[in-house]
Amino acid sequence: MKTPILEMKHIRKTFASTVALGDVSFDVYPGEIRGLIGENGSGKSTISSIAAGMQKADSGEMLYHGKPWNPSSMIDALNHGIGMIVQESGTIQGISVAENLFLGETARFPGKLGTINKRAMVAKANEALRAIGVTSVTGDMNMGALDFQTRKLVEIAKVVMKDPEILVVDETTTALSQEGRQILYDLVKRLRDEGKAVLFISHDLDEIMEVCDTLTVLRDGAIIRHFTKDEFDPDAIRTSMIGRELKGDYYRSDYEPTHLDEVAVEARNIRLGSVLHDVDLTVYRGEIVGIGGLSHCGMHPLGKILFGALKPDHGEVVTGKGVRITNETVAMREAFGYVSKDRDVESLSLNASIRDNIAIAGMERYAVKNFLMLNGKEKAYVDKQIRDLSIKCADRDQQTSQLSGGNKQKVVFGKWIGRGSDVLILDCPTRGVDIGVKHAMYRLMIELKNEGKSIIMISEEMPELMGMCDRLLIMKDGRVMHEFMRSETLSDAEIIQYMI
Amino acid sequence: MKKIFAMLLALAMVFALVACSGGDNKAADDKPVKIGVLVADVSGEEALGFRAYYENYIAKNYGVTFTYTEQLADAAAEKSAIEKFAAQGYDAILSLSSADRATQIETAAANKLYYAVVSGMLDDAQFEQYKSNPYFVGQIGPSMQTEFDAGYAMGKHFADQGVKTVGIYGAFIPNPMHVYRTAGVLAGLGCTYGGASDKDGIAGQLFGDQGVDMSKVACGNVQVIGYFQGFGDTTFDELFGIVGQAPDAFLSVGMATTFFAEALNGAHISYADIDSFTSGNAANMKDGSLVYLAGKYSSSIGPIFAATLNAIKGNPVRDENGNALSLSQNYLVATDSAAFDSIFNGDKGDNPIFNKEALDKVIGKVSYSDFAALVASK
Amino acid sequence: MESSQIVKRYKTRQRIIDVLPFFALVLLFGLFCAVVQAKGYRLDMYLKIIFNEGIVLAVVATGAVFIYTLGSFDISLGASTLFSATLGVMTYNATQSLPLMILVIFGVAIGCSLLSSVLASVFHIPVFVTTVAMMSVLSAIAAQIITTRGGALGGISIPSEVVAPLDNMGFKIAVLAAFWLICFFVFNYTKIGRRQKFLGGNPVCAQLSGIRINTYAIIAFVMAGLGVGLGAFLTLVYTPSVTATTASSIGMNIIVAIVFGGMPISGGPRSRIYSALVGGFSYILLNNILKLIVDSGVGYGVSQIVAAVCFLAVVYVTGINYRSKELPR
Repeated sequence: MKTPILEMKHIRKTFASTVALGDVSFDVYPGEIRGLIGENGSGKSTISSIAAGMQKADSGEMLYHGKPWNPSSMIDALNHGIGMIVQESGTIQGISVAENLFLGETARFPGKLGTINKRAMVAKANEALRAIGVTSVTGDMNMGALDFQTRKLVEIAKVVMKDPEILVVDETTTALSQEGRQILYDLVKRLRDEGKAVLFISHDLDEIMEVCDTLTVLRDGAIIRHFTKDEFDPDAIRTSMIGRELKGDYYRSDYEPTHLDEVAVEARNIRLGSVLHDVDLTVYRGEIVGIGGLSHCGMHPLGKILFGALKPDHGEVVTGKGVRITNETVAMREAFGYVSKDRDVESLSLNASIRDNIAIAGMERYAVKNFLMLNGKEKAYVDKQIRDLSIKCADRDQQTSQLSGGNKQKVVFGKWIGRGSDVLILDCPTRGVDIGVKHAMYRLMIELKNEGKSIIMISEEMPELMGMCDRLLIMKDGRVMHEFMRSETLSDAEIIQYMI
Repeated sequence: MKKIFAMLLALAMVFALVACSGGDNKAADDKPVKIGVLVADVSGEEALGFRAYYENYIAKNYGVTFTYTEQLADAAAEKSAIEKFAAQGYDAILSLSSADRATQIETAAANKLYYAVVSGMLDDAQFEQYKSNPYFVGQIGPSMQTEFDAGYAMGKHFADQGVKTVGIYGAFIPNPMHVYRTAGVLAGLGCTYGGASDKDGIAGQLFGDQGVDMSKVACGNVQVIGYFQGFGDTTFDELFGIVGQAPDAFLSVGMATTFFAEALNGAHISYADIDSFTSGNAANMKDGSLVYLAGKYSSSIGPIFAATLNAIKGNPVRDENGNALSLSQNYLVATDSAAFDSIFNGDKGDNPIFNKEALDKVIGKVSYSDFAALVASK
Repeated sequence: MESSQIVKRYKTRQRIIDVLPFFALVLLFGLFCAVVQAKGYRLDMYLKIIFNEGIVLAVVATGAVFIYTLGSFDISLGASTLFSATLGVMTYNATQSLPLMILVIFGVAIGCSLLSSVLASVFHIPVFVTTVAMMSVLSAIAAQIITTRGGALGGISIPSEVVAPLDNMGFKIAVLAAFWLICFFVFNYTKIGRRQKFLGGNPVCAQLSGIRINTYAIIAFVMAGLGVGLGAFLTLVYTPSVTATTASSIGMNIIVAIVFGGMPISGGPRSRIYSALVGGFSYILLNNILKLIVDSGVGYGVSQIVAAVCFLAVVYVTGINYRSKELPR
């Protein structure tokens, strides 16, 4: 029997009168990747952030290698063996990658006359990046010039460089593309093999089953069940996560590709720099078309082009009625809706209320003469969306930033569905959303399809594309490589060969 | 709910504003005299000298309260300041601020406050318009003609001395006072500006050009080697550009003793300024290279106070047609340390030129000519 | 599981912050009346003065709220007030027509405002950059006109009797109320205001929600132009003259007023149309209280320092909920 690195005993944590953790105990053993899974608010992030020094427990005891563990901060915890990669971005733009990595520790690289030896610092930074398998970034690059995913990789390097005994990975993969994820998976496996421990928090059941050795399910601030690898079963895990059986199938139950005859939208010869090359796409009414591929395959810009938010160098997007989509306003007039991959920046105004976010796109639905905003009509409009989509909120005036990821996404859906969008372009619609909400969204998509609406679903998650789409287009390097029709026999392996 | 609350509140405040009409606090005739002073410049040497004279000497000798405003930015601030003095039960306004004299007079009159111009003078047409207003006490100070003459005298002084090259500092053109002084300097040096050599001809063009356009300056024996104005980032570069050419004299129409004394003394360049008789300037003249100073002395604003006090006490000084006072007051000029000191020492804090003894002669029931005689005597 | 308790606490705090500007205004108003009475001054006259000092600021700032809501910034409002008043005076002096003067004032004000926003959208530069340029240009042109035409007077004016009949409380209150109600309506009950607030909160999302950014920026600048025009007209009603320094302090005071009124300078969904009115008068009251209490002999600037401290305090208080808006996870 191994001795645990970390023992957490009877941990309690409340926020005001809300119990985030009620008497949670569990141990972390060397050489394991332990998955933590649960719906938003289940306490999985709270427990791991207490271990990593981000916040303090109200009561309970933690032992690290048998000795009391009370880190004063995340840095303190990291310096003593527990490091955490957080969901939010923790890097500073405007300074170099090396300076980010050695923030507050630049004194380690003394140069002449009290300066910093930048060359030594950059060299050390390169070393740290190579160590986690990142080769595309060097220490002298400016942080601001890197994309979101690359910044995340720098953050990972920053934590791993300290050689922690326990690494906490909190929903990090949602920010990463397939390549980035692979780097992270390789890293956590290596740490495990070195006899260290990893706490892996994710919403993605498939991922967690793939990566983790053991799995702990939390719900409402309590541990529901531990699973060992041989006990992993998606249905059992889902059931323990949400505390009830999910009614109906998770994805679509039929395997027949269906659609109406009428064309909803057609993209012809779309070209965009080196990103897209002569892409053609036809979507029919009542059809769910999936577009899959690696993060940089061009599918995300294609989504924007379909909505008129990005101008292609060549080619056009035309509705079934022959209207050219030239900008967002035209797209909206033609009843298009667009759910962006970058939800918090592109799909929501976080400081605004739920009401503002839902109401903003649907004014023509309730404004008198499309101009006058009367409170009553607007409230009714918003409340209907909140009700229909079961958005969990205090009331319609609650600030959107206070909602969980899943509920935020529901607000975005409400914004577009409320105005009766006929063509929905959904870019990673289930990203960072817990399983219950995912399920609800899949149900909704099926409902919309049955109403004759068209859905273009862009995603990096193959299972959901295979599970939901009538037709699946796989893109690579800006080109559509292959088109799969819906089929029961369609497999991951078949698809992936066109992606890579 | 919040919006309704907001509107109700706004309404309530508006009603309070309209309906509120407190009691009249204006005291009886024997109350101590309170005079409000409008100021646009709060830090210049001249302004500080004036203030010290009123607040220390006059206040002590006549039992009058003087209250100075903060720096007034524009006409609205002037009007508002006068109204506040009225609300505080003041008796009169003395104005050293000139954004909108007409509105000042009208506002003072509407609030039954006596009003006098302390520094500068009204434009002729304006004076005509307001001279019969019973609340307008009048004006004693340098007229635009006097300003022009002061500049002219300065220019002529150096031309007569045979200087060959000069640099000119136009201070804060388009301030009218500085425009007329600069026009005078050019005329006094024997120069024409855009072909004009008279006061209005030159000044009119300076207003239009917002400064001196060197290409329009044509001189006889004297050469103007450089000109600049204002005060900003490039001011000292401009000054040193001129100093580098070592002119025979540097003529300033104001503020040079404040801004450039050190630089000019250090470079041993003779300079002239129109400013005031202060200790700093005494030193510049004695040990530095200040060779000509035309100035007001701090107590030169004594007579207009006397006239205002008379008006408050029911003895207004009017001319035979019942019009307000209008007397021009010239600048005093010193070209050496001895002359400077005799003026400066004669106007010290406790014993100013216009001391109590002098002013008492025109306090009470006196005539217009008594005033004219007093002003002309100093 | 939502942290409903925290949400409730957040909302209570938000409500307090929302009411705070009104509370401050009432408090300052009471304090002001008390100080004036205690000093034995005429309160009726003082209230009138306060109103006159505050009305131009309140009007211009109310128009400016539309710009600030977008998260944008216009530093040239003082200069355009000066410029439109200047051209108004010239128009009157040339034509002796009051209606024409008013027309020119509004036309010029809206024109200047439009020019700023159109230039910004044509050259794709932040609009506040164009307003910085506009400020220099407009004040330079106005100063040129004023000093050239004003000559020895240092300013240009219209005969005071032209506007004197309008220089009364009734007229000004009516004008203020009418303008404010129009702005209130547009801001809260039309698509325009709602979209502008959304745009200020997140322009990227707004664009992707079908809101044309340029269109709404232009509308905001037109509304601000209306405020400037009205402000310039009211300036002339109070003092029928224009000098190079007229309205020079307005640009900065607008920011102070809006902040005192409880609106974040960054604009967005928490923008409030009443901020300018409430904050403008609060600021004027505060200034006057300080001037009454602080003896001018103590030194110039003491009251400004106190006002600055109050300003920072307000920014801190209104910012509290921004800093703690995220729920602990």
